[in-house]
Amino acid sequence: MASILSARDIRKTYGSTVALDGVSLEIEAGESLALMGPSGSGKTTLLHLLAGILTPDSGEVSWNEHGAWQRVDQMKEARRSQLRRESFGFVFQQGLLIPELTALENVALALMIDGVSRPQSEQRARQKLAALGLEGLEDRRIGQLSGGQAQRVAIARAQVADAEIVFADEPTGALDSHTSEEVMTALLGATTGQGRSLVLVTHDETVAARCSRLLRMRDGRIVQQTRSIPEHPGITYTEARS
Amino acid sequence: MTLRVAWLLARAGTGSRAAAVLPIVAFAVVTALLLAVAGGAQAFWSWRDQTAGVYQVLSAIALALLVVPLLALGGSAARLSARRRDDRLSTLRLLGATPATVARLTVLESTALALAGAVVGVIGYFALVPAVALIPFRAEALGIPALVLAPWAIATAVAGVAAVAAVSALIGLRQVVISPLGVRTRQNAPRLRWVRVVVGAGVIALALALTNIVQIDVGITVIAIVLGCLFGGTLAVLNLVGPFVLRLLAGRQARRARTAAQLLGARSVLESPKAAWRQVSGVAMTSFMAVFAGTGVAVLNAISGSEGATASDRALVTDIGTGLTITLVISFLMVACSAGVNQAADVFDRGDLYVNLGYLGMPRRIMDAARERTVMWPLVVVAVGSAAIAAIVVLPLAGYSLIVAPLSLLTIALSIAAGIGLVWVAMRLTRPVLTARLAAAA
Ligand SMILES: Nc1ncnc2c1ncn2[C@@H]1O[C@H](COP(=O)(O)OP(=O)(O)O)[C@@H](O)[C@H]1O
Ligand SMILES: [Mg+2]
Repeated sequence: MASILSARDIRKTYGSTVALDGVSLEIEAGESLALMGPSGSGKTTLLHLLAGILTPDSGEVSWNEHGAWQRVDQMKEARRSQLRRESFGFVFQQGLLIPELTALENVALALMIDGVSRPQSEQRARQKLAALGLEGLEDRRIGQLSGGQAQRVAIARAQVADAEIVFADEPTGALDSHTSEEVMTALLGATTGQGRSLVLVTHDETVAARCSRLLRMRDGRIVQQTRSIPEHPGITYTEARS
Repeated sequence: MTLRVAWLLARAGTGSRAAAVLPIVAFAVVTALLLAVAGGAQAFWSWRDQTAGVYQVLSAIALALLVVPLLALGGSAARLSARRRDDRLSTLRLLGATPATVARLTVLESTALALAGAVVGVIGYFALVPAVALIPFRAEALGIPALVLAPWAIATAVAGVAAVAAVSALIGLRQVVISPLGVRTRQNAPRLRWVRVVVGAGVIALALALTNIVQIDVGITVIAIVLGCLFGGTLAVLNLVGPFVLRLLAGRQARRARTAAQLLGARSVLESPKAAWRQVSGVAMTSFMAVFAGTGVAVLNAISGSEGATASDRALVTDIGTGLTITLVISFLMVACSAGVNQAADVFDRGDLYVNLGYLGMPRRIMDAARERTVMWPLVVVAVGSAAIAAIVVLPLAGYSLIVAPLSLLTIALSIAAGIGLVWVAMRLTRPVLTARLAAAA
């Protein structure tokens, strides 16, 4: 499989705290990657560096734009912001949808900020919501949705611009196990199900088990990698990394 | 106990400096303006002749007008104060502090900020006095001695500002829930009824009828008093109808919005039309008054220019014009202060949301544009709308004055435009608050 995002030996410190201590990583098209590790181990920081929200103190982050590699860490904020709008999608723990907008408007907004007209944005948003089983809830405001529904709206928002990679930071962290399973199904369906990639931070082993690859982190490093073999689900091989 | 915790809170970390400085500056401006106007009023109250009464009544009205934006500002400052302490207040709740203790803390803090601002405002007032002293009334500059207030009066004003801050903090806190999990703005679906519109239309019609009955030659004092009553009545109506009209217009805007900023702006007005109204209602009064009284002045000017008018009548008319301009300027300044503080509170309120919208790739430009729209759009609607209503109420007079004094109408329009510009500048000044919030997350 082709690699679409690559990090090489990235480091990030906050004052005297070393949040990331030299991480290298490739993300392949169509894979789902789970990041696990104790709180404070650098998962969110890694996610933000990969997504171009933050830039590393040293090391490289590169993005494969239709065969041409681009250095994300060297882009200006405006360009990274554009990259996030056009090629990446995000789902956060609390959804963080805009409370005064309807479900449909929340999803459409992601396209509107990119200059797509409102009717066109809403049409595509409608399709995405329907694909996620939210038909009929388009005009509800966020407060009128359940936690699981709100998270699916967030998934629709992340995918409405056909993002190549969706980054999700503990998307099921605030949900019960049944809803969490539903949301995970929706998330995988909207990403790997369409040949897109998913990078997911989670504390939940069952959620992580549904991903094709698992990285465990500690103290700003990747300490273990587990790859499940798609032809033989249930058989995994684990390699330790130092 | 409350005091000790408050002190600890105040010292622990600087939080965001802008969030503390903004209310202080705002209260300082308000206090300085209030004292300056009170000084002017005091000058009138020493007069003992026939028309002195009119001056005294009008100056009292001007002072009363300024209290409304002052109240709005107090509420905004309290909200900002609760927001700014977001984490610490909810931590306190988590540690077992009762809601009452936490509420007391917040009220205490915003009162302290108001007090600090008021003290700075006293200095500002003394800096203003020489300039205010140059303003002519009865064709004579007021002069510094007439304007300087007694120490007890200044102390009362400072205490009054602090008290207003405390009371409006209490009221403002009712809209905020401080739970162990965080500070949230209470979400109550606003209920606005058609009854308001009906009552409103009735009162405006009545006012209209009254204006027609008033004979122009019954004497300037009577006209001034009748105008005052009409003004007060219509104002009350504006307050009743304003939120409702904003909601209708915002709903239409939300449906028609074509850009992200338009949609966000309209939706956030729709979320709480009452709050949007509160923020700009000071301007409703001012711009209503500007047209109303401005037209009155134009008409009176025409009358006093005729043969029967005495010199003191003529002076009174000129002076009403002067007082009007001053009140206009001051009330726009106050609205600008309160809008600025409110927007800063909003950034804290929705900080996480803004940060995450930034992650999604929403440029800060759009966030700022949306924030500014939620204030500027209702402001323009309200300023133009209440000016128009005032124009309708005084139509019998306005038609006349349009011919007599096109210049005075131009002055009014320019003052309103300048006032809107002032609020816009205040909005721009809150940009660093958002920038700082976004930078803190990066
Ligand atoms: N903005 C920041 N300022 C200072 N320290 C931070 C900041 N963000 C993260 N850190 C620190 O970096 C380390 C890694 O944090 P994070 O990536 O959020 O971990 P995780 O998501 O695995 O819990 C932690 O020690 C955290 O305290
Ligand atoms: Mg994290």
